[in-house]
Amino acid sequence: MTPTLFGLLILERDPYVLADAAGLVQAWFQDAGGFAAIGLFVYILYALTIPSEQAESAKSRASVTTFMLVMAVVSLLLYVGYVVLLAGGKGFDITNFRQTANDGSFVKAVAPKFSLNLQPMALMLAGLAAVLGIGQPFAANVLKMRGRRIWALAKLGFKEASRAKLYWVFLLFLLPFLFPAKWYFLFKAENELRSTVSITAYAMNFVLLLPAVLLAAFSIPRDIRDQNIYTIVTKPVERFEIVFGRFLGYAGLLSVVLLLMTTVGWLYILTTGVSKEAEADTYKARVPVRGKLVFASRKAEFQGTNVGREFDYRKYIAGDPSSPQRAVWSYPRVPNSLTRDRDYVPCEFTFDIFRMTKGVENRGVDLTVRVTTRQAGQVPPVDQKDGTWRWADDARGQLYAKDAKDAVRKLSGLGPNDDVNAEAVFRYAEPPPPGQPPSKEWAALNELTEKYGYFEIAGKEIFDYHPESINIPVGLFKNAQQPGGDATLPAISIAIKCQTGGQMLGVAEGDLYLLEGQRLFAENYFKTSFGLWCRLCILVGIAIVLSTYLAGVIALLGAAVTFFCGYFGDHIADMATGNSSAGGPFRAVNSLLKAEQPTAQADPGNSLAKLTDGGDLFFSWMVRRFINVVPDLDSYSWTGYLSEGFSVPLECLAMNLLTTVGYLLPWFVLSFYLMRSREVAA
Amino acid sequence: MAQDVIVETRNLTKTYRDFWGRKKKTALNALDLSIHKGEIFGLLGPNGSGKTTTIKLLLGLLFPTTGDAYVFGESSANVEKNERIGYLPEESYLYRFLNAEETLDFYGRLFNIPSSVRRKRAAELIELVGLGNDKKRILREYSKGMRQRIGLAQALINDPDLIILDEPTSGLDPLGTAWMKELILDLRKKGKTVLMCSHRLDDVQDVCDRIAILFNGDLQEQGTVTKLVEDAQRMQITATGLALTDALKHDLDAVIKKHGGTLDGFGHPSTTLEKLFLRVVDESRARPGRRYLPPTEATPAAKS
Repeated sequence: MTPTLFGLLILERDPYVLADAAGLVQAWFQDAGGFAAIGLFVYILYALTIPSEQAESAKSRASVTTFMLVMAVVSLLLYVGYVVLLAGGKGFDITNFRQTANDGSFVKAVAPKFSLNLQPMALMLAGLAAVLGIGQPFAANVLKMRGRRIWALAKLGFKEASRAKLYWVFLLFLLPFLFPAKWYFLFKAENELRSTVSITAYAMNFVLLLPAVLLAAFSIPRDIRDQNIYTIVTKPVERFEIVFGRFLGYAGLLSVVLLLMTTVGWLYILTTGVSKEAEADTYKARVPVRGKLVFASRKAEFQGTNVGREFDYRKYIAGDPSSPQRAVWSYPRVPNSLTRDRDYVPCEFTFDIFRMTKGVENRGVDLTVRVTTRQAGQVPPVDQKDGTWRWADDARGQLYAKDAKDAVRKLSGLGPNDDVNAEAVFRYAEPPPPGQPPSKEWAALNELTEKYGYFEIAGKEIFDYHPESINIPVGLFKNAQQPGGDATLPAISIAIKCQTGGQMLGVAEGDLYLLEGQRLFAENYFKTSFGLWCRLCILVGIAIVLSTYLAGVIALLGAAVTFFCGYFGDHIADMATGNSSAGGPFRAVNSLLKAEQPTAQADPGNSLAKLTDGGDLFFSWMVRRFINVVPDLDSYSWTGYLSEGFSVPLECLAMNLLTTVGYLLPWFVLSFYLMRSREVAA
Repeated sequence: MAQDVIVETRNLTKTYRDFWGRKKKTALNALDLSIHKGEIFGLLGPNGSGKTTTIKLLLGLLFPTTGDAYVFGESSANVEKNERIGYLPEESYLYRFLNAEETLDFYGRLFNIPSSVRRKRAAELIELVGLGNDKKRILREYSKGMRQRIGLAQALINDPDLIILDEPTSGLDPLGTAWMKELILDLRKKGKTVLMCSHRLDDVQDVCDRIAILFNGDLQEQGTVTKLVEDAQRMQITATGLALTDALKHDLDAVIKKHGGTLDGFGHPSTTLEKLFLRVVDESRARPGRRYLPPTEATPAAKS
């Protein structure tokens, strides 16, 4: 079988999966609950201070139920409890505690995990109580909503946009297809599909997001200005139905347009064809099984080496036959799909080579790939000059070596005392083509790996960022599923060693994976659009909610700023956590005035530096409040997956939907209160 | 509250304030009003007197500063009360990109009316307001009078018990005005309650049972139209079959003097211009062709 070429996907963060749901829900209650608590306390204070001579209707608009009061008290008590725990240092959130990287190096963002520690639980329950309290009138209102009314309002938005001939704007999307980028730029053949997909994605984002925010931000203000809303609010229409109906109308319209655009993009690829190189590289939807990357060496604290590249996504291991450094991908469990109906599992990888010496012309660097299960645990060498990792159970290792030699002797028809090089024989064993019986060598190799859970390929030559692949016999995965071995070890470990002296091998977690299978590119193409659909919903939602209280232009600006800040989520998160290597705005001003490099270390004894650091600390606090309002747009980006030929997992799309709903829900609650308190005829 | 009271306001006050909460204007001041079932109630007053503010407060478009407004015994803030209300705004604030059918379908959906009922009622109303031939045209193409007609149709889509009409004859020609007034009277016959406000006093006088006159936000006068416009100091006698002769005038004067009165006037009663116009139009429809002849000495002009 021809090895499947590798897709170069940079994974700066893992997409959310269903397993993250509990942690995300807990974090949501903590964050949204904080806002809800402020809203609830302010609302109750306002309601209690309404003068007695005030109109009865004013009191009914700001009515406070017993349930709301109880929830406010519960929430307050839990927040007090949280502060006491915080002050006493009890019940600390160990699960989600992360040391910030003090050298400014790349820290992979991880999803919050559900924590049973007292502090996060108190914070979550306080938030839950506040959400229930502030959400009660909203929920009661939602129960009064009627599908017929919502549909009428949604259809109205749909018709309004279509009769305003908005579709002419969407035809702009056809421009990249009428004037393809390859007329103006030279692409490598293998990058053809990548470029088409990326340009299409950019065009769709631009052509959809701009009209979306314009439509949504001006709809309700225009209704109020033109007084159309008089004829709506004087019907038995709940105020939130107006917001939700508008939202559904525009989201529906844009969904149809998105579907059409996706279809056009897909047809373009289908009809114009794909070069062979691109087809081999990216015209597919790989289903990878990804492991966790750890670095290992003689010393346990080895974390990989930073070679000083500006993009510090990758860490490096030193290359040399005597190097004990390994990059190890570990899999805590083996999916059953990897052992069914197959003779081998491809393992694909590509790495960065950082050359310390020129090396040999036209020669890459050599790797050793060792794949082991729990039954073949490995330990680092003790000797300084020894770079070979050994079996933890030495006797089992010797047994493996003996069996391997015996198998080769048997294959070659040699006697029991003849010397053989088992590694060399198995190095060139090829898996059978589909439907064919395996070769004797492969069958023997498979048997060995199933028995011992050990497989190694030595001398695998690779080039800088060039995709490579090895085939791992399925027997190894069957072994991993058997009981026994060291339970503290992961089910599978894939250890990479760089053999070539004087070279450094750069690796990141996304650089190696097991290939479970492939899905259709077309299916993946349409799945990718779901992320954009979520973004559209978020943008339309923010714009409509803001427009319930603000003028159209202000709502437009507010929505655009909030949304587009989401594209810089990582940078904002760095500022919020104080992880930005260049400090904050106060330090930046100080550096500018002093004409210092942004990367220059601040003098800790300098009083001005202390002052700017204090200012930045306050700024970080401000940003931490703001960051919860900014949508996490990166988590909806699947273009990289599509353009690099990776299947977008369905569970990730389900999580996209969950996070979209989670993000929009507080906005909708806000819109309910804003609309309820608004005099539309004032 | 009495059972037949449909609309009631108690000390209803609306004060507009600026951004800083400072009082800008009191649009309505302590209005106490009751509108009973089956009556046509008119709100009168010059511009800025608080008529439209009252209606907006009743409909929940504005919130009262103090006091309360009740419709069907429920607070004006209650959305459910709108199930039984039909509202025609001063201008026909409808969506101009919809046609008549779509407009009625849209508002019918807002009342949660099932599809079959909605379609039937929409068709009836379109015929009622005389837009059968224009039902597929978008409202942008409608004249002001046509928009007013479709506005009225949307106000009736839910077969409301209370119809609130803000300047219902605005933009209508005399024929349309007469039609509108007839329709309002028909609604009363069906037991509906109508609250209308208008600048056109003749319209109000023609259809309203009771009126309230507002000025600068204050209620100045309230009562039945006949009672309010009645001139108790004077008497009117009408008769047919008599010619205007000096002898008749002399005899009448004598009789009136005998009873202690004074003859103030003597002559033919005049009709209203509206009635004249309608009569001419009706006759012209019945007998098409030019009918106007220039006055001669033998046939002096009717106007004197």
